Amino acid sequence: MAEYRIVLNGSERRWEAPGGLSLLDLIRDYAGLTGAKYGCGEGQCGACTVLMNGRAVSACITPAEAAQGAEVNTIEGLAKGGRIHPVQQAFLERSALQCGFCTPGMIMGAVALLASTPEPSEEQVRKGMAKHICRCGAYPRIVEAIQLAGRLQREARRG
Amino acid sequence: MDSLKARYIASLEIELEPERYELFSDATWRFSPTRREVLGRLGAGVLFVFTAPVPARASAEAKDALSTRFHISPTNVVTLLTGKVELGQGARTLLTRAAAEELRLPPERVLITMGDTGLVPDDGGTWASLTTPETLPAVRRAAAALRELLIDTAAKLWGAPRESVRIEGGAFVSGPHRRDFGQMAELRAVMSGIPAGAPLTPPSEWRFLGQPAGQADGWSCVTGEKQFTADLPAAGMLHGAVVRPRAHTARLVEADSEEAGRMPGVRIVREGDFLGVTALEPAAARRAARSIKAKWDETPLPDFAAMLEGFRKGARAPVPPKPGVRYPALVTKGDAAAALSGAPFRHESTYSLRPIAHTALEPRAAIAEWSKVNGQDFLTVRGGTQAPFAVRLELAEAFRLAPERVRVIAADCGGAFGGKQRGEVFLEAARLARDAGKPVRLVWSREEELTVAYSRPAGVIDVKSGFNPQGQLLAWEFHNYNSGAAGLPMHYDVEASWCGFHAAPAPLRQGSYRSLAAVANTFARESHMEEVAARLELDPVEFRLRNTVDARLREVMEKAAALGGWQGRRGKALGFAANIEKDARLALCVEAAVDPAARTARLVRAVMVFDPGAVLNPDHLKNQIEGAILQGLGGALFEEIRWEGTAFVSRRLTSYRVPRFQDSPKVEVHLIDRRTVEPAGAGESPITVVAPAIASAIFHSTGKRLRSLPLERAWRELPA
Repeated sequence: MAEYRIVLNGSERRWEAPGGLSLLDLIRDYAGLTGAKYGCGEGQCGACTVLMNGRAVSACITPAEAAQGAEVNTIEGLAKGGRIHPVQQAFLERSALQCGFCTPGMIMGAVALLASTPEPSEEQVRKGMAKHICRCGAYPRIVEAIQLAGRLQREARRG
Repeated sequence: MDSLKARYIASLEIELEPERYELFSDATWRFSPTRREVLGRLGAGVLFVFTAPVPARASAEAKDALSTRFHISPTNVVTLLTGKVELGQGARTLLTRAAAEELRLPPERVLITMGDTGLVPDDGGTWASLTTPETLPAVRRAAAALRELLIDTAAKLWGAPRESVRIEGGAFVSGPHRRDFGQMAELRAVMSGIPAGAPLTPPSEWRFLGQPAGQADGWSCVTGEKQFTADLPAAGMLHGAVVRPRAHTARLVEADSEEAGRMPGVRIVREGDFLGVTALEPAAARRAARSIKAKWDETPLPDFAAMLEGFRKGARAPVPPKPGVRYPALVTKGDAAAALSGAPFRHESTYSLRPIAHTALEPRAAIAEWSKVNGQDFLTVRGGTQAPFAVRLELAEAFRLAPERVRVIAADCGGAFGGKQRGEVFLEAARLARDAGKPVRLVWSREEELTVAYSRPAGVIDVKSGFNPQGQLLAWEFHNYNSGAAGLPMHYDVEASWCGFHAAPAPLRQGSYRSLAAVANTFARESHMEEVAARLELDPVEFRLRNTVDARLREVMEKAAALGGWQGRRGKALGFAANIEKDARLALCVEAAVDPAARTARLVRAVMVFDPGAVLNPDHLKNQIEGAILQGLGGALFEEIRWEGTAFVSRRLTSYRVPRFQDSPKVEVHLIDRRTVEPAGAGESPITVVAPAIASAIFHSTGKRLRSLPLERAWRELPA
């Protein structure tokens, strides 16, 4: 057994659990947050994307041990004070989804992308989101939604 | 095939395509053996019972069956019940809005329960783009009948003229009287009979249908609250894993599970070729399964060329269909052989396609639980499926239970695309749960998704045509081997034609994939049309138009050519394809970026003109069409299942490429909305034109005619 300690969506959490878990196992099976999904188990689809110390990581290939003491943010912690995040709002406005399975990971990836590139061009979105898969094929809408989210964030800051 | 499920499939009102191999084959597993209380789940209230339309050749029990469509609680909650499920294709949104339209309620006031065999009517599987043409009208008729019944009841109750009763603000009103739906439902004692021929709201008065609508579950998608099977909790649940052979087909010879047996909380289940474990946590189950050393007797797989040869050798000649069959394996007109031999010019070509994987992002998953009801075994399984009622029968057969003792609760699917029509994972979870005596959740890995699931069938297609120098088609002969009958009929005008589907024994597990064989058949038909146009030195769009009388098809072709810049295409890699599929008319003009040295192509722009008849939710329809183009370009350009010896080589996403952001073109969708024409389902048809349009673009820019899917593979194999 091992002790795992992470700051999950702003709260310090501890678990006693078997060694060798992935960060995704810890988040889903111990913290009970199921927004991050298992899609491939090899960091190739982005469905499990969460933020670790502000960077987008594939939780399925991140050992839980590597997240010791880190700040981990998941889709569940994105809305603040009952208001959804501009990226969530933009995905809704553009109907940038179909089944919604990739959406939580896609949104977390977009949050990280916009943090480093607040006004991404179409090409920058495509490159920045390269590791995410949407099998329903909503890519053109997702590109638009992420660019819209960038504009919404800038307006919110100015506002 | 006289199984329960076979009888069920045969009893469906709707003909299904013969290449739905997964539905017509036996259950994956057959295990030895070891009154529903469902209404309580919805709480007190009134369940409105409507007699289901009964197909003429239905069994006696089907004829006795009643289906229930609406539930109204005393607390004024209206729930629509349907056997259809949500896969991301928008059934939840569309059916809710259709009910709201007829009930004169805001859509957010109508709840929907989908795909729970213990609660909902059997609307058939969520397949073949039938939700729009079949289930939507059924829901509208039932909602209109319910509305009229309640209006009648209110008029009698108040002694008011019927015409004075209206639905306003979610309530029935007349003069000083007002009662909401819940209060009306309390009056069931005075209700009698369902008014026949309740009028449907005409399109000119639609308030919700025909309007763009966001997804009903969009909020839960973006917040991560939407739960798929693997996200659902169950009290005391254990987790399962199945030990698989590496080979595609294998028998279990022996297994050494000593190490797994020593792991705390691990149970091992072996029956026949089935070998699985349960454990307290998912990671522990995976670890236990990995530790088991199993020996398998493996069956070798033929290579692709040998597989196609096998299809031809093993082919059964298509037989003339019974009248009225929707997907006939043989469609003939006149004497095609005579017309061919009499034609001034003839052209022959052969096309093929490799198998591809659905690769829905959500892996198959199920949660099974056994209980006792009235002292008898009762099995409940939740999971993502397109066909809850068919899966229920698969479970009933596998465990030798009466179907009434099995309940399947369909969870929302994270994509399906035809891949979630069988109960493999349901059966496996149920077998493990029976051993464990507790609920068991089983989630397939990506490797299981790619190697254990059925795939889109490979196939080979021979086409012969005869034509005259003026560009008029005179004869058409079309043979599809193994891939299927969907999209087989010829919709260009020709005096004599013979189109047949030859079923054949196949070495791979194969089955339904979005639009079924219509992708293969449209690729062959459209590519052949282009080849004939080239021989005649005619513009391929012009050649198609010369052989088309269907006015709606002509219109989409002309419009797509104009919007796609077909006339000014010199110097650009433009391609074109058109089709009539599932009653929709569609034409696609694409621009590709072609690299002749690397023998690769990328889609840059795609302009689709789509005419489905009436457009019910324009934004979501566009979303579906865009998605189908994106999905279609994978199978067109690069997707293929590869194998060597006995086993698949494509076992992970690093060895099975699907379309990503970088593959995504600029997509423009133009809809033609014909309010008075019955709407066609549109989840499938748009995918059919993608491969032939890209092949056309590659030909027009390089002169290379690629006749096999995926195209990049065919290109690499072309001699220099």
